[in-house]
Amino acid sequence: MTAAIRRFFDHDLWWSFSRSPLTVGAALVTLAFLLAALLAPWVAPHDPFDPASLDLLDAFTPPVWTERGDPRFLLGTDDQGRCVLSTIVWGSRISLLVGFAAVLLSAALGVALGVSAGYLGGAYEAVVMRLADVQLTIPGILVALTINGVARTLVPRELQEAAAIWVLVLAIGISDWPKYARLARGTTLVEKSKEYVAAARVIGLHPLRIMVRHLLPNVMGPVLVIGTIGLALAIISEATLSFLGVGVPPTTPSLGTLIRIGNDFLFSGEWWITLFPSLALVLLVLAVNLLGDWLRDAFNPKLR
Amino acid sequence: MPLLEVEDLVVEFPTRRGRLVAVDRVSFTIEAGQVLGMVGESGAGKSLTGMAIIGLLEPPGRIAGGSIRLEGRRIDDLPPEAMRRIRGRKIGAIFQDPLTSLNPLLTIGRQLEETIRTHLDLDAGAARVRAIGLLREVGIPAPERRIDAFPHELSGGMRQRVVIALALAAEPALVVADEPTTALDVSIQAQIVQLLKRLCREHGTAVLLVTHDMGVIAETADRVAVLYAGRLVELGPVEAVIRRPRHPYTQGLMGAIPRIGARKGRLVQIEGSMPRLDAIPPGCAFHPRCPHAFARCRTERPELVTTGPAHRAACWRVEAGEGS
Amino acid sequence: MSAPPLVAVEGLARRFDVSRPWLARLLTREPRRWLQAVAGVDFAIPRGTTMALVGESGCGKSTVARMLVGLLQPSAGRILFDGSPLDPRAGRKALAPVRRRMQMIFQDPYASLDPRWRVADIVAEPLDAFGLVASRAERRERVAELLRAVGLSPADGSKYPHEFSGGQRQRISIARALASRPDFLVCDEPTSALDVSVQAQILNLMKDLQERLGLTYLLISHNLAVVSLMADRVGVMYLGRIVELAPAEELFTRPRHPYTRLLLDTVPDLELRRRERVPVAGEVPSPIDPPAGCAFHPRCPWANGRCRAERPEPLPVGAARVACHAVEEGRLLA
Repeated sequence: MTAAIRRFFDHDLWWSFSRSPLTVGAALVTLAFLLAALLAPWVAPHDPFDPASLDLLDAFTPPVWTERGDPRFLLGTDDQGRCVLSTIVWGSRISLLVGFAAVLLSAALGVALGVSAGYLGGAYEAVVMRLADVQLTIPGILVALTINGVARTLVPRELQEAAAIWVLVLAIGISDWPKYARLARGTTLVEKSKEYVAAARVIGLHPLRIMVRHLLPNVMGPVLVIGTIGLALAIISEATLSFLGVGVPPTTPSLGTLIRIGNDFLFSGEWWITLFPSLALVLLVLAVNLLGDWLRDAFNPKLR
Repeated sequence: MPLLEVEDLVVEFPTRRGRLVAVDRVSFTIEAGQVLGMVGESGAGKSLTGMAIIGLLEPPGRIAGGSIRLEGRRIDDLPPEAMRRIRGRKIGAIFQDPLTSLNPLLTIGRQLEETIRTHLDLDAGAARVRAIGLLREVGIPAPERRIDAFPHELSGGMRQRVVIALALAAEPALVVADEPTTALDVSIQAQIVQLLKRLCREHGTAVLLVTHDMGVIAETADRVAVLYAGRLVELGPVEAVIRRPRHPYTQGLMGAIPRIGARKGRLVQIEGSMPRLDAIPPGCAFHPRCPHAFARCRTERPELVTTGPAHRAACWRVEAGEGS
Repeated sequence: MSAPPLVAVEGLARRFDVSRPWLARLLTREPRRWLQAVAGVDFAIPRGTTMALVGESGCGKSTVARMLVGLLQPSAGRILFDGSPLDPRAGRKALAPVRRRMQMIFQDPYASLDPRWRVADIVAEPLDAFGLVASRAERRERVAELLRAVGLSPADGSKYPHEFSGGQRQRISIARALASRPDFLVCDEPTSALDVSVQAQILNLMKDLQERLGLTYLLISHNLAVVSLMADRVGVMYLGRIVELAPAEELFTRPRHPYTRLLLDTVPDLELRRRERVPVAGEVPSPIDPPAGCAFHPRCPWANGRCRAERPEPLPVGAARVACHAVEEGRLLA
């Protein structure tokens, strides 16, 4: 075990990581968001979803350092008296959950289709890849909006609130698969021509086994890189949909919902309600993106 | 005065774990019109030596010591611009892959004329005449027509001929040829080796021929330098080194080459493999694989000692006068 | 050579579709184009011997190797293994018993091992695929035995391929190929990516294993010296056909086909005789549009009208089989 740990810190990846202060910073910010999201019930100063704890008299309290600030609410409160800091912590939880789930879905879908298309080839490959091409010509957010709309009409009204998050995951996940499919197919074509795949074919392994046990692990490296950048994009997609009002409901707000709600009060002077969730979103997306960029450079020695 | 004088050349790569010494105090000379074959296994430092001489070491690799003199003048510390003028005019280069040595977007004529006019004082018409002459000299059929061809329209062997014409375009005094035949088919290899040999004899050009193929050396070179783990272990006339190698590594190498006719025997086997640059053993770098190693080999690095006419080897056993 | 052949091929052929895509073809009214990689190849390999196929790149030698191990389907002809014909269209399960008995060693030791797998799993993959071991302990035991057989240590099994040098990787490939106790090994340029001193180790190892395990080899190589050392019989291929097939002894002392002579003449001479050769001009033509008649005629100093028009059939000359009009007519002294 200690040997494994020593190997990790001795690895070139760790070395390149520790030598890039920007990347270390990005990793720390991402980690802070992840911890806050995971531990929201314990780290958030208030529970914004407990109606009993809310007091409408606290509504529109500005941040603590302003004249009318209240020491109980560091970043102020919104129209319903909810602590903005707490809503951001809980909102990040929703944003990250949707982001991760959507990336997992689109990566799983894209990689499965891309690897099989690359390995099997023929008409199957042509159909899958043309489908991906067609979908790529339509803006992702439009695809997500459409899927979201269709899914909502299929879900019974009484389940809609509960299912909203998963509908969102489905919409973003499906809108993003072609990117992974293209990458996975390209990498598969390269790996397929290598002799270790021929060696597996010589012993008559089933194609499925070759794809799962040989190709998949060798395709995952680049997918991980794209997936990290994809996480940032998925979080933005979620925020966009929620901002447009078709995402998660206001009762369980994500960062996008918070920005939308706050937007209504921007012109009446309550700037903090929308500014702080927006800053949180920018910080999170930027940090994840920087991590993704570093991963890409670290995996591609040509750019080092 | 020799044409090229390399003295105690050191090429190193700074890495996070320290400096990797890829070429370690290598010294040799090449006389005008002479072919020096430099042989060794991959990672022995033979290509880096060639690259250092033509001033094209890939960063972070750098010359960390020693000197390179061409016609008595130091060229290893020249600024890039001055080195660029020497390259092409005084030193020509031939690389392994003829496809990547040529610009795919320009006709071979354009590339030849450009090189000729950069280095020689000729007008466009004269440059073209000279380019056609060069193509004819390297054995390209119908050069008047082929001069307007693009590299991709030629076969691999023809492309390598064009690369040779480019290297000789400005009548350089020295050509560095790095594995010039490795990427070619066997029947083409022989043609290219013959061509290189003939041209350099006719033009009096000296050649540093870098290759892993002892056969090519035997066919072409006047003298041989054997590199092992970045160090020169043996240097001498080609007949002496091939017939009577003195260093145990060269002896092993010669025995390891399969030959036609020597059927059904076992090849001489050098156990193990060449050390990686970050794990070069102390003393003689070859001692862990050497069947004759003794205590001194493990602690002290041997220097080249004369073992015969113009024949030198770096081995304690040879220095002690044992073995043959 | 009285032993019955372990492997025999009859009229083996393979062509590849190199046409442009359907739409482009329709627009330019271009016909389909075929590359005849292998045509009418016959040979038999007696048990326990080594047959070599030599030739330059594009001569079809690797395509023959790939058809034998089932990586490619023949377009025509058949392959006989241990007396019975292989049906390439048979199912995976039906082919498994034959597949277990033939394995392949590849050229590039840096690409032939899955970089994400541990060496022990790479070596054991055929054991798992053919269900040859009953327990984990037996698997471990067998992997250790295989690694020892190729000169590695059983402890190497827990490492990854990138921790090994090229020669050691090729040893791992050989250990893997031996895992299912095959009779027949197809070795596609097994040492051409290796340094000379390491090549010697691998060739010696292959010879030792052949002696110890009674293996039959098909060696694909462009290096005549390697072939001369290893092979009992040699087939010289040019543009998809075997132009000369002979016992190695015979081929290297009395080459008959003009192409064989050319190849032998190009081998660099370590004896320092420094003969001035007459390098044969020209290069291998494209297999998509091969010359009519004898494919070698454009480069052959002995070619005449018949060579340009009529393709020579392989005919017995001494212990050899040669496809050449000049040899047949006695124009070229055999």
